[in-house]
Amino acid sequence: MGINVKVMERPVGEASYVRATLKGLALTLKHLVDPHRVTIQYPEEKWDLSPRWRGTHRMLTTEDGKAKCVACGLCPTVCPANCIKLVPGEDETGNRYPLVFEIDEFRCIFCGYCQEVCPEEAIHLGRHYENAEFNRERFVYDLERLTAQTHPVSTLWDPADPRGE
Amino acid sequence: MSATKMVSLTIEGRAVSVPEGTTILEAAKAAGVLVPHYCYHPGLPVAGVCRMCLVEVEKFPKLAPSCATAVGEGQVVHVYSEKALEARKGVLELLLINHPLDCPICDQAGECELQDYTFQEGRADSRYREPKRFNPVEDFGGDVLYVTNRCILCTRCVRFMDDVHEAPVLCVSERGDRAVISKAADADLTQPWAANVIDLCPVGALVSKDFLNKARAWELDRTASVCPGCSQGCNTVLETRDNVVMRMKPRPNDAVNQFYLCDVGRLDYHWMNRADRLESPKIRLADVLSPVDWEIALGQAAEALRGRRAYVVASPQLSNEALFLLKRLIGATGGEGAFRCATGPEAPLPGVDDLALRADRAPNVRGAELLGFTRRDGDLLAGLKSGDVLVVAGDALDGVDLRRAVDAATVIVVGTVLPVGLPTPVAVLPIANVAEEEGTFTNLRGRVQRFLQAKAAPGLARPSWYALADLATAAGAPSDDCALPSRAFAALAAAEPAFSGMSYDALGLRGAVVAGAEVAR
Repeated sequence: MGINVKVMERPVGEASYVRATLKGLALTLKHLVDPHRVTIQYPEEKWDLSPRWRGTHRMLTTEDGKAKCVACGLCPTVCPANCIKLVPGEDETGNRYPLVFEIDEFRCIFCGYCQEVCPEEAIHLGRHYENAEFNRERFVYDLERLTAQTHPVSTLWDPADPRGE
Repeated sequence: MSATKMVSLTIEGRAVSVPEGTTILEAAKAAGVLVPHYCYHPGLPVAGVCRMCLVEVEKFPKLAPSCATAVGEGQVVHVYSEKALEARKGVLELLLINHPLDCPICDQAGECELQDYTFQEGRADSRYREPKRFNPVEDFGGDVLYVTNRCILCTRCVRFMDDVHEAPVLCVSERGDRAVISKAADADLTQPWAANVIDLCPVGALVSKDFLNKARAWELDRTASVCPGCSQGCNTVLETRDNVVMRMKPRPNDAVNQFYLCDVGRLDYHWMNRADRLESPKIRLADVLSPVDWEIALGQAAEALRGRRAYVVASPQLSNEALFLLKRLIGATGGEGAFRCATGPEAPLPGVDDLALRADRAPNVRGAELLGFTRRDGDLLAGLKSGDVLVVAGDALDGVDLRRAVDAATVIVVGTVLPVGLPTPVAVLPIANVAEEEGTFTNLRGRVQRFLQAKAAPGLARPSWYALADLATAAGAPSDDCALPSRAFAALAAAEPAFSGMSYDALGLRGAVVAGAEVAR
């Protein structure tokens, strides 16, 4: 008793691979002459960050190079991730100044509350994303490092549309 | 029953009945309504200068300052009516005209009444565009710094120095918007009770130099305690951050210290944070102290005490509970107990009855006397006999002639630090200090007051009642009934007639007076 095998009849025009191959090659050719680029050629090319981008912190300084921070304690209080360590004290002229100011960038959730709450406009989030280090300890940024960084800072909102309308 | 006539009135829709002559502000407090105020303070004479406590009273032609207006029968008072709120908003706006708004660098931020009421009732922004008045910071002497710009001229400090301290050093000088608080040229606030103006100041104008820039008010954990500085036993709040005592402030108690705390007591907290503490029990092995477990150290101490008399040198810094357990130890070994107390000049606060920095500079002299310890300020070791075991509990023995101890005795040390100059002790038991344990002190008028634990003890150190209960048990005076400070106190109350009927719950945070003590005030 033989097995009945049903042989499908397909129209030659649709079953042939030739048409699909040519179609694919045509698309490749089109992209060759008219580049529609999505991939960024990092690191030669850098991404244009939004003004609202929230990256690793920067401490702004006064004209004489000292941190603007007055150690008021609002940022460690508001920080939901508890990543800011602050010990207040006095500088050599008797003004209130942070003796220790450290941000653990691994703990930070980049919410931007510290920048928003700062009455002195001292601590800012950065428009910056290149943070690679060779060890974990380097991700605890101290005051010296925070003031030494030079990348642009976040505006937290879009200057063209400040109310987010 | 009493001759005082009661007056009934309605405040914010709440009926309240208060004695005749009470101010509306105090009546509102009794009704559970806080009228915002700056110049009024219950411990000071009424001035009525800040105009912050204005309230609307029905049938009055204009708003009344509630701190200076006595209640009347059937009055209807509105604290939060539109008219009263509008007036207080105006007062706040005027107070803030020359206020520097430097809250980020101000030590008062977080506990500032100007901040609180402005947030509650004030304007969101200022309409004042002219430059603000500026005056430099002035050092008022003592622990007090005067930040002129923040001052709202409530004159609480002036009234405290005039009427309570009775040392009129401060005054309001200049007039109008140039008015400032100034001090007399030939005197300053280097006075025994002057630092209370820091607590009285409702804003950050008078700040403590000791606490300056050290911590923010909202970071601090607050624990009810009793000042260990003298036998007055002022009620205090220990404020800690990260297990470090940052400052000590008075806690109101009408029966002891009202609202005040002297400068000596206020600054006498640094030793609570000292780092060179005994952290582990130790025993003597080949004449050298070696750290061991508690059980081994207690066993060694019990071994040394077996069949010998214990001569206990207790510190009046120890709690009633610890002294009671030492008394049990003395009873079990047939020994005796002695203590000494550092003394200094007495400094009364003239405006308050029976309040002074006392000559005896330890909190529990009365408790030690009640529990049968002999005061030996001269020769602390006078009763020590050859063959005794010297138990040093809490006392660091600075300046004591220790020759007798070297000759006569085996030594056991129970304390926070190791006394210098003693022969090597057979056992050393580390205990917690007053900020690290719970207990009670008996002040010089016989008032027993509780203090609570504010921070953790270092290393293996145990609370004194814990360590001494174990030591008493090991020495043959079973003290298994003292497994908690409250139980140790209950055992004390059961055994000592003076303390009978007392318990932690009954003491609360106000304390109670021992039986047979003259009633103070």
